[in-house]
Amino acid sequence: MNDFLRKAFQSYYLESRICFPERFSRREFAFIFWGGKQMVRHVSFKRRDELLAVLRRRVPMHAYYSSAYYEKPDAPTMMEKKWMGADLIFDLDADHLPGAEKMSYEEMLFEVKKELQKLLSFLMDDFGFEEKNMGVYFSGGRGYHCHVRHKEVLHLGSQERREIVDYITGRGLDAKDIFRERVVETKRYGERLVPVKRLEMPQPDEPGWRGRISRAIIETVREVKESSNGIEKLMSYGISRNRAEKIIEGLSEERMKRIEEGMLDQSPEIRRFFLKSAVDEVAVSLSTGKPDEPVTADVKRLIRLPGSLHGKTGLRVQEVKIDEINEFDPLEHAVVFGEDAVKINLTKPFKIKMKGESFNLDPGEVEVPEYLAVFLVGRKIAEVK
Amino acid sequence: MNIYIAAKYPFLRDAKEFVRREGVSTEEILHDPLYQRARDMGMQRVNDAIERGIVGNYVTADETDALMTIFSYPVARMIVASIGSDFLRGRYALAEAKRAYSSLTGEDDEFVLGVAKEFGINATDGLKIYFTDYLKNAPTWSDKWKLVNMPLKGGWIGLKKVELARLVQESLREKIYNELIDLRPPPNIKKVFAEDVNRIKNMMQRKEMERKVEIGKASISKFPPCMRQLLAAAQSGVNIPHVGRFALVSFLHSAGMDTEEILRLFSKSPDYNEERSRYQIEHITGKISGTEYKAPGCSSIKTWGLCPVEKMDDICRKVSHPLTYYRYKWRGKK
Repeated sequence: MNDFLRKAFQSYYLESRICFPERFSRREFAFIFWGGKQMVRHVSFKRRDELLAVLRRRVPMHAYYSSAYYEKPDAPTMMEKKWMGADLIFDLDADHLPGAEKMSYEEMLFEVKKELQKLLSFLMDDFGFEEKNMGVYFSGGRGYHCHVRHKEVLHLGSQERREIVDYITGRGLDAKDIFRERVVETKRYGERLVPVKRLEMPQPDEPGWRGRISRAIIETVREVKESSNGIEKLMSYGISRNRAEKIIEGLSEERMKRIEEGMLDQSPEIRRFFLKSAVDEVAVSLSTGKPDEPVTADVKRLIRLPGSLHGKTGLRVQEVKIDEINEFDPLEHAVVFGEDAVKINLTKPFKIKMKGESFNLDPGEVEVPEYLAVFLVGRKIAEVK
Repeated sequence: MNIYIAAKYPFLRDAKEFVRREGVSTEEILHDPLYQRARDMGMQRVNDAIERGIVGNYVTADETDALMTIFSYPVARMIVASIGSDFLRGRYALAEAKRAYSSLTGEDDEFVLGVAKEFGINATDGLKIYFTDYLKNAPTWSDKWKLVNMPLKGGWIGLKKVELARLVQESLREKIYNELIDLRPPPNIKKVFAEDVNRIKNMMQRKEMERKVEIGKASISKFPPCMRQLLAAAQSGVNIPHVGRFALVSFLHSAGMDTEEILRLFSKSPDYNEERSRYQIEHITGKISGTEYKAPGCSSIKTWGLCPVEKMDDICRKVSHPLTYYRYKWRGKK
């Protein structure tokens, strides 16, 4: 089985160019070879053709390089490697999306792309990175990687990177400060002047999270208002029917208008709902959860080598131009193998659309194009006859 | 720069230039009766730092006053350096930085910008700062200062004057602290300030002793292995993960220690930052957040990978909470 994939990967590496990272000779490379359990680490290359030779002769199942660059990238310990700097890496994986376990592969790819769009909006609008400082790559698996190589970020430490992650995921957002009390008028009661205070929502054009929250709240209010069944709409945000009814009751025409003008002085219930749904809408789901996982704040993590193949799908780690993300379809554009028919033995029914063709396969012996055979064998749901 | 401004900000390049131009030797400052006032004020700076946590604003009625104030700053630094206590170095650096902050808030934008620039914090005329400069200098361990709560646009953050002054405070604290570590005070400083240096040294030692009595070997030996390990890591300055710090602080707090006592335990760490540590401790113990966090149990500690399984002992296997372990050991000794 490994033999089939290995041969296929070899034929790919023999005729393809891979993307060489900047500061090539300063990077650590790492590989997992077919049948090998352990990752081979601490490899470095002086010349590019040395890396190509490894890919072509030894044909790894997975190929990685370090986001960091070092004085001695092949030294065995971090101390001896001597860290010089590191790209800033964001890892979006469908695994982390709520409800991922119920999604098909294609649904996951679709959902994770939405997260990618949100991430890029943060990186470009808020952080001011430009396309020339960034690279976006389909991971070959269930997600995307975004590399930022702006010279100002290369030397940031772990703590500072964590702040950037917290920004993008909305962690530590001070919700109490989002709505601010403001005196809108003073009323006179006989001799006494009484200030009338209102809770004011941020304006849509404010920088940072405040503006984002404001835009998301207005958007949600419009959606609820325009929807023929507002209660259902609210329930789709995970609110109970009982609570949804209460909220709709509170949303009179006059109140709706006030919200759009920036006054969200309604009941705390409504405020909580809109704020929470806005934060959920704006924040990006990044891989930050599990302890043993490489994360953005890590200044010395490994990342898949662009242009290499993912051993469990046979899909290419594919660069995606930022203005082509909408059209990018991993199951078409990251597919590298051809149409030659291959006989496989499928262990369970499988449905997928790849390279524009829909497959609806039953278990048992079937003939499929090579690209699908590689994908299914890689995912261990088929064997080559 | 005029002499009164130099007296307010004696750490600035221009103020140091004043000292140089006066052509007074260290010897003269330490011994000449002419500079008695500078020596007194230098001692005052150190006492203020210890007692109040902030250096006072000294009145400078005339140029002589101002000059004495300028000279009192290097005197204070020599005293602190000669005592050789890391706790004091940190505390003094913070106390000077806090005073500078309080003065800066009363200056105009242009002045604050100039001082910020001298500390490598580059802000534009409109008080905008690039986010990497912000991250390097802002106290982001406090919720209010987290990047997520700042108006970030196109990589730039618009700050208010007081906010920029606060970044200067942090940068100044670090600078003074680092300078104190490298500073080799002249040997005769101990003679000149013999009484005071001894008094402060004793005070620092007494605090050390108190600490040892409160939480000396006897009670540390009653800590469960996980907490002993975390404490050792914190004291040797090994970077412990956030959850580890949380577990340790909440445990120490439940075991009856107050903020000051916990602070002193942490003050051994090389990257000790009193203000940050205090904030974190008070956050966990409920003084700031209003929520007093409970010390986590064994299952959480295991989940976070903080349980040193190979060091587990018989009591560990009987209990499911580090505090139960601690109390069990207390009872066992009776």
